Amino acid sequence: MASLKVEIVTPEAALWSGEATALMARSSEGQFTILPQHTPTVGDVVPGLVRVATVSGELGFCVHGGYFQVGPGDEPGVTRATVLAGVAERVSEIDVARAQAAKESAEAQLNTGAELDEAARALVLASLARAQLRLQLAAAR
Amino acid sequence: MAGGQERILRRRIKSVQATRKITKAMELIAASQIARSQARIVANRPYRQGMRRIIREAAAADPRAARKMLSTPEKVETALVVVIVGDRGLSGPYNSSALRAGDRLVHMLSHQGTKVRLVTIGKKAPAFFRFRGIDVEQSFTGFADRPTFADARAVASAVAAPFVAGEAQQVLLVSTRFHSAGNQSVEVEQLLPLSMPEDLEVSATSGLKGYTEFEPEVEQLLTELAPRALESEIFSALLEGAASFHTSQQRAMAAATDNADELGQTLSRIMNRARQDSITTEIMEIVGGAEALRSGK
Repeated sequence: MASLKVEIVTPEAALWSGEATALMARSSEGQFTILPQHTPTVGDVVPGLVRVATVSGELGFCVHGGYFQVGPGDEPGVTRATVLAGVAERVSEIDVARAQAAKESAEAQLNTGAELDEAARALVLASLARAQLRLQLAAAR
Repeated sequence: MAGGQERILRRRIKSVQATRKITKAMELIAASQIARSQARIVANRPYRQGMRRIIREAAAADPRAARKMLSTPEKVETALVVVIVGDRGLSGPYNSSALRAGDRLVHMLSHQGTKVRLVTIGKKAPAFFRFRGIDVEQSFTGFADRPTFADARAVASAVAAPFVAGEAQQVLLVSTRFHSAGNQSVEVEQLLPLSMPEDLEVSATSGLKGYTEFEPEVEQLLTELAPRALESEIFSALLEGAASFHTSQQRAMAAATDNADELGQTLSRIMNRARQDSITTEIMEIVGGAEALRSGK
């Protein structure tokens, strides 16, 4: 029987891996769903919610940008879908207080009007974007 | 007086024992860090492999775009050399062997007429190179023991900038690779252009081409992926460097503890002999004194 093996991987750890029925995420070209037997594909994943449907329910992952690859798995009939993300976490594990604090500190840094150089500003903006995404997904859970 | 030597010896034994306590503690700490840093290498493996798989797939699908991104230019005018060492010493040959390999590489490149720009990671590197009259363009410190992915990102962006701007045609990495707990070695690798596994040519012809779908297009994807792959490679080099550092430190400190044990034993033997000598001398003096008194009567 055709099956789908999904891995959500970050540099620090393999966040989740296991049998799934579908993988849903959004790339720069739009929303997509991966089912077993999906054609081999490589693409990007824009920051947002990545959903994994399994027989025992749906899991949500907060992915802060990354890439995915779909290809044949190690065994015949198995399709492997890998999501590679620099930063990602389970939606159920989002630390709202920490995200809120990160958001406020990033906003404070942007609002002081202090001259940030380009690189520092990019870092602050990235941190703000991550905090906002976490809060948004945590509110919807 | 013989007691003087005994006192000096007692002081030395005390100092050796104090040193032994420190080296033993460092040995235990390093040992506990080995397990953790090894676990991080294992945890990083799926990401690294996944990243390599994606790059390989993309490169196989569009060899022309890949060649531009991934192959070494014929003439390298300026090379950027990245050296990874530790923030702390007392780690056996860990720092010095990587530094020496870096030094050799810099000399070899300058000998070939290539300009070298140096970026170092670890507190031990800048002093070493400055002492040898080699300029360090940028040095990162403070995270060699426990690197995070954000650290790798910072290094990657610093390293990629001159390459993207065309100021450097090649980026080389000197770091210690962790093969196993008993086997680490200093290796020089090419970071940019991304060096790909040798099987790239094979997979490019094995029919993968035109089979995999890409969104967005391969060329754009490769351009975006290259910095991510660089981060991934640097991160794993940092993790392996940290694990090698802890292993090397544990080994060095275990040897130091053994030496302290041996030295302490030798010194306490000498001290016991000195004490016995002084007791013997004292008895002889007392007996001699008594004899003299008796015969004087």
